[in-house]
Amino acid sequence: MKRESKDERGYAPVDQRDWAEDPRLSAYALGELEGAERALVARFVADHAEARAWVDELAATARALESALAQESSAFAPALTDEQRDAVAASARRRHALGARRGWLGGAALVAAAALAGTISVLITQQARDSAPGYAYDISGGVPGGAGSVRGSAPAPATRFDRAGSSEPRRALSLFKAAPGAEGLETLSRQQDLPQADADMEVAEEREMQREGYDHIVENAFMPVKLDARSTFSIDVDTASYTNVRRMLNSGASVPPDAVRVEEFINYFPYSYDAPSPGAERPFAVQVAVAATPWAPQHRLVRIGLAAEALDLGERPAANLVFLLDVSGSMNDPRKLPLVKRALGLLVEQLGEGDRVSIVVYAGAVGLALPPTSGAAREAILQAIERLEAGGSTNGGAGIQLAYDVAREQLIEGGLNRVLLCTDGDFNVGVASDGELERLIAEEAKSGVFLTVLGFGAGDFQDAKMEKLSNRGNGNFAYIDSLLEARKVLVEQLGGTLATVAKDVKVQVEFNPAEVQAARLIGYENRVLAHQDFLDDGKDAGEIGAGHTVTALYEVIPVGAPYTPPPLPESRYTTEAPPARAAFSGELLTVRLRYKAPDGDVSTGFEVPVSDRGATFDAADEDTRFAAAVAAFGMVLRGSEHVGGATLDDVRRWALEALGEDRGGYRAGFLALVERARQR
Amino acid sequence: MPSPEGERMPEPKTHWIQAALARHEADLVRYAAQRLGGDLDRARDVVQEAFLRLCKERREDVGARVAEWLHRVVRNLAIDARRKESRMMTLNDEDHARPDERAPRPGAALEQRDAVAQVLERLDALPEKQREALRLKLQAGLSYKEIAAVMDETVGNVGWLIHVGLKALRGKLAVEGAEL
Repeated sequence: MKRESKDERGYAPVDQRDWAEDPRLSAYALGELEGAERALVARFVADHAEARAWVDELAATARALESALAQESSAFAPALTDEQRDAVAASARRRHALGARRGWLGGAALVAAAALAGTISVLITQQARDSAPGYAYDISGGVPGGAGSVRGSAPAPATRFDRAGSSEPRRALSLFKAAPGAEGLETLSRQQDLPQADADMEVAEEREMQREGYDHIVENAFMPVKLDARSTFSIDVDTASYTNVRRMLNSGASVPPDAVRVEEFINYFPYSYDAPSPGAERPFAVQVAVAATPWAPQHRLVRIGLAAEALDLGERPAANLVFLLDVSGSMNDPRKLPLVKRALGLLVEQLGEGDRVSIVVYAGAVGLALPPTSGAAREAILQAIERLEAGGSTNGGAGIQLAYDVAREQLIEGGLNRVLLCTDGDFNVGVASDGELERLIAEEAKSGVFLTVLGFGAGDFQDAKMEKLSNRGNGNFAYIDSLLEARKVLVEQLGGTLATVAKDVKVQVEFNPAEVQAARLIGYENRVLAHQDFLDDGKDAGEIGAGHTVTALYEVIPVGAPYTPPPLPESRYTTEAPPARAAFSGELLTVRLRYKAPDGDVSTGFEVPVSDRGATFDAADEDTRFAAAVAAFGMVLRGSEHVGGATLDDVRRWALEALGEDRGGYRAGFLALVERARQR
Repeated sequence: MPSPEGERMPEPKTHWIQAALARHEADLVRYAAQRLGGDLDRARDVVQEAFLRLCKERREDVGARVAEWLHRVVRNLAIDARRKESRMMTLNDEDHARPDERAPRPGAALEQRDAVAQVLERLDALPEKQREALRLKLQAGLSYKEIAAVMDETVGNVGWLIHVGLKALRGKLAVEGAEL
C-alpha cells in the first residue's frame, strides 16, 4: 500500500485476507486488466507468495480449460447447411447493392486506397472453380473406388470423419466456388471507386496477407553512353509480380502500375537457351541476341539469356505428390499460405510428364483442390495453387485420410509416392487421438506412401508432434520460413533436382560508344547495382538454380538513329578521352558476369563481347521475340512512355508468333492473359 | 483460354459477411446449440437468422465488434426461440436448462479422449452463466467487455462469473490439463 501510486487510488486495494475472493485476480491471470488496475494487482501479487501461487493456479486452470475447449472446437465444428449459407450470401448480395448507395457512398470514415486495394485482392482470389465438379469428397464414404483398405486397418477414422463428412461434404469446395453473379463485374468496378470503412479484424489480416503496398517503380531511362557506358544489375529469379498481376486481370481488378515488375514478367517464362553440360567449367552459359526493337524499329533490342546447367533429371523416379494443405484461418499470414503457394510453385517447375500432382485442402472440411494432374500441365497446377486461400477452422484428420486415399489411387510402382503436409502446426486430428493418427500414417507408409511435413509460420508450431508424425510416415519434417528454404527443402523431395548452381550473380554491360548512343535496361529497377559493387564480393545479388534461365533485355539506341541526348554542360576539368582500340571492333557491347559457387565466398567471372549483325525483329529467335512481347505487355500495363505506340494487339501478335514448343503451356497462358487484358 | 465458367466474377461486396461466416460459423452454431439444449438444427436456423440480420447492418456500424455482435444476436435469438417453444420453461432457470443441454452434447465423440471429456464434464457441471462466460472467454476468445455486451451483464459481473467458475474448476483440471 505504501508504494501505491496516484493512479491507483481510483481502485480498491486488494483485500489482505480475502484476496482469494477478488475476481480481479482471475482477470489478472487472464490478461484482462489494464493500466493502473493491472499495476495494482501486479504489485499485490508480487508481495504475496500465496496470492502469486493462486494466480498461477487460476491461469493453469484457464489454460487447461482453454485447451480442452479448443479440442472440442476442432472435433466439433458444426456448419450451416449449404442452403442456409447460400441464403446468407444471397441476402448479403442484395443488401450490398443497396448498401453501396446508402452506406458507402454516404461517405464513411476512410481507410486509404491502398487498404481498399487489399480488400479487393482478397476477393478476387476467390475465383470460380470449375475444373473439378465431381470432387466434393465425403470422407465418411471415402474416395470413389479407392477407399476400403485403410478402413480395416484403422477403424477409428470412420467415426472421426462422420461429422465432417455427413453434414458438410461440399464445404471445402465452396471455398473455391464463386457466387454465380452476373453483376459481379459491375459491382467490383464500382467498389474500386468507393472508399470503405473497415476496422474488421479479418479483413485487416487478409490485407496483411495480400499486402499490396507496392514500392514505387521509376522506370530505367535511356542513359547516354557518353555519360555512363555501363549498366550493372543483379539477376532476379522472382516471378511473383506476374502471378499477382495475372490474378488481378483475371478478376477484373485494375492493375496498379507499380505492381508490374517487368523483369519478373519476363522471368516467369522458361526459355530454351543452351545450358552448359553438367561438369562444364562454368555453371551457366550466357547467350546474347540482338535484333530490332519491335516497338521502336530504329532501336536495337539486346536479349541477354543466362541458362544454368541442368542436373540429370533422368535418374529421378516419377513422383506422385499429394499436397495436403492447411487452409484454415490460422494460415492466413504472409509467412504461411502465401509462402506455401510460392514454395509449391517452385516445386512444380521441377515436374515432368511422368509426375502426378494433387492438392487436398482442409479447413472446416476437406476437398480436392486439384485432382491428380500430370506434372507437365504446369499452368493448370500453378493456377490451382494460386486459387487457394485461407479460411475456416482446421480439420486435419479428415484431410490426411483423403490425401492418402488419393495418393494410393495414383500410386506409382517404384516411384516417389508422397503426401506433403503443409501446415502451421495448428493441426488438429479431429476426434481421434494423436496415437490413432500415428497408426494411420504408419499403416500408409507400408503401402509405399510416405509423409513429409512442412511447417510454416512462427509461433506455436508443434514441432515435436509434427516430427513424430513424419517419422511414423517414413518421412521427414522441415520448417520453412523463407522461399530460399522452401526451394532447398522441396527439392530434396525430388532427389535434388533443383539446386543452386551459382549465387550472387551480377551482370555488368558495357556499351561501345562508337556503336551506341544510349541504352536502357528494361525492368530490374530494384536490382540495379552501383558499378563498383560488381567486383565487391561483399555485395549480395541473385542466385540461379539448376535448369533455370534468367533473361534481361536492353533497348539500345545505335549510332545513326535519331536521338537527342539530354543537355549537359561541358566538363570544366576533363576532356573526352580518345576511344580504346576495341571501340573500332564493331562490337556493340560486352556482357560481364560475376558469380560465386553456391558454397563459395569469392567470386569469379567472365565476359562475352557481342556484335550486332543487324537482324530484323522477325528474324530473331522465338525466345527473344517472346521475351520482347512479355516486356511490352508489362510496359503497356505500366503505361510506360518507352513502349512507343505498342498496344495489346501488338503484344498478342508478337507472342502468338513466338509460341515455339511451349513446354508446360506457359506461353499459351500468356496469350490468354493478354486476351483478358484486351477485353477490359 | 479459360472457359466462360472459369471467368466468373467473385461477389466482392459480400466479402466481409462471408469472412465473418467462415470465421465464426462453427463457434456460433456450437454456442447456439448450447443455448438450445443441443438441438443442432435449431442452432443452425438461429445462426442463419443472425447472419441474415448482419446483412442488414452497415459494416462500419458493426466494425471490429462483429464477433460480439453475432454472439449477442445469436444468444437473443436462442432465448426467443426457447421462449416461443416452451412457455412452461422458466428462463434463466439454470437447473432447468441443464439436463436438456447435456443430452446430445456436441462433443459426444470426444469421450474417446478422456482427459478432454472430463474437463468438459466439469465445465458442464457449473451453473449456466459461469459456463457461458467461461466458454465465451476461453473458446470464442471474447474480452470481458464483449462478454458483458453479449450476456447483457456488467463487466464486473462477468469478472465475477469467470472468477467463481475458475475457482470451482481449480485443482480438478490441473492434472488433466498438464496432459493435454
